[in-house]
Amino acid sequence: MIQTGISKLDGYLKGGIPYGKSLIYYTSPGVEGNVFGMHTLYHNLSAGKKCVFVASSSNPQAIRDVFREFGWDLNDFSERLFIVDAYSSLVGSISKEKYVVVDPENIDSISNMLRKVMEELDESVIIIFESLSTVMDLCGEKETLAAIENWNKYGMVYDNVLIYNFTAWPYQRDTLEAIKHELFDAVITVGGIAERVIFGQYFGVLNANWSDIPPKSMLFRVLRPGGIRIFIPKILVTGPFDAGKSTFVHALSTRAVSVDRVGTTVALDHGHLDYKGFSADIFGTPGQERFDPIIKMLSGEAMGIFLVVDSTVPKDFVRAKHMLDITKAQGLPLVVVANKQDLSNALKPEEIRVHFNIPANVPIVPAVAAKGEGVFEAFDTLIEKITEVA
Amino acid sequence: MTSMIEMLNKVLVDLKKVGGVEASVVASRDGLLIASNIQSYGARAETFAAMSATMLGAAETATTELGKGVPDRVIVETEHGKLIATGAGSKALLIVLTDPDAGLGLILVELEKAAEKVKNIL
Repeated sequence: MIQTGISKLDGYLKGGIPYGKSLIYYTSPGVEGNVFGMHTLYHNLSAGKKCVFVASSSNPQAIRDVFREFGWDLNDFSERLFIVDAYSSLVGSISKEKYVVVDPENIDSISNMLRKVMEELDESVIIIFESLSTVMDLCGEKETLAAIENWNKYGMVYDNVLIYNFTAWPYQRDTLEAIKHELFDAVITVGGIAERVIFGQYFGVLNANWSDIPPKSMLFRVLRPGGIRIFIPKILVTGPFDAGKSTFVHALSTRAVSVDRVGTTVALDHGHLDYKGFSADIFGTPGQERFDPIIKMLSGEAMGIFLVVDSTVPKDFVRAKHMLDITKAQGLPLVVVANKQDLSNALKPEEIRVHFNIPANVPIVPAVAAKGEGVFEAFDTLIEKITEVA
Repeated sequence: MTSMIEMLNKVLVDLKKVGGVEASVVASRDGLLIASNIQSYGARAETFAAMSATMLGAAETATTELGKGVPDRVIVETEHGKLIATGAGSKALLIVLTDPDAGLGLILVELEKAAEKVKNIL
């Protein structure tokens, strides 16, 4: 089995892609779907795997340049990476690659080269197609569909993994249906959404015949450098006055700014976190009641909430609960952060659960935000809840 | 989805053609970045969006508390330029940054027009 290298996706695929299987990244036009195949390629090269990249819409040097934009230097892997150049002949330029498709407009020419590569390497490799849509544009829809069936069979025989980037231009309906439902062992859809005011790109597993498919899509963004990151546009950090919310935001964030006066947040803490394949923006609210209008205003569209409480001040727990109402937190993934655990009079998480009457399905994570303890445990717990399969 | 972002970007690009305008951002009322034309700045547009939304929201709360209605805009002046934030419908706000010598008259007129367009796009 190999991994895609994309957070959560491997989990959704029950660990990754088994050898002998094929997978297609099926992308709506206008969305950066081709990065998925590139991300998977680089991840596997780094993991010591042998990979083949079928270049069909740009010359190999241009491809190396695009990878470099993501901070990925393909030259480090020249012994393990084989580029099948199905482009240079098209524009009449000389290719420096070992494997060159003589006539990229003829599907048999591509098929012959693929077979040659598989036979010569004669071991489990990962084959990634830069753009199946380009092949289809050049060679014809019917011809390409017939060829894919053969490539995937060959891939199965040689225990290869075949991964395709595909942009769903307005091809014939039958073609798109066959691609979505018949030809591949797994289909990952990559599209755009406009949900209220969140504009973004998502991916989801449409089907994968080796795993039950969770009905869940994830927002993502493309970082340069970095590649694909799961995108969480807003995580709210709220809680009573002096619970340590700002400290928590700063301990968690790669970068953060605060608007604080005389030691208390008056407007907002805003932090950004790039961690374990996630890119998240953190909004920390003020705690005092006089700022409630701001809390109300800022809490819309959060994907998850941290409720930070001072474990030594049980009387504030009432206010904490009230803040959950203000932030309209019902139904959102919630993690309670039991802060200041290093103080001698701190209540233990389970004592807080009883005091505060917190339902059993809401995790309480002990933390000392000032020392950075428990902060990432809390983040992992919340992310697990945000991305868990309903 | 992409067409909406394209339309917003077009509005922002046009806004930048107005003399003195250096950068512009569309943010949601609750502080999420929707679109930006802010490349020349090192700052993160996300933080800028969140802070601007807080500012306008706080101003609205302050004036309505005193029975003075909803502000048309918030203008912040510094030695190096001006920041102007204005509502663009109930979902979004539009913010521009100008150079220090920019004349406000034309910018405010263009900003209002652009805000109306943003409102209609969303």
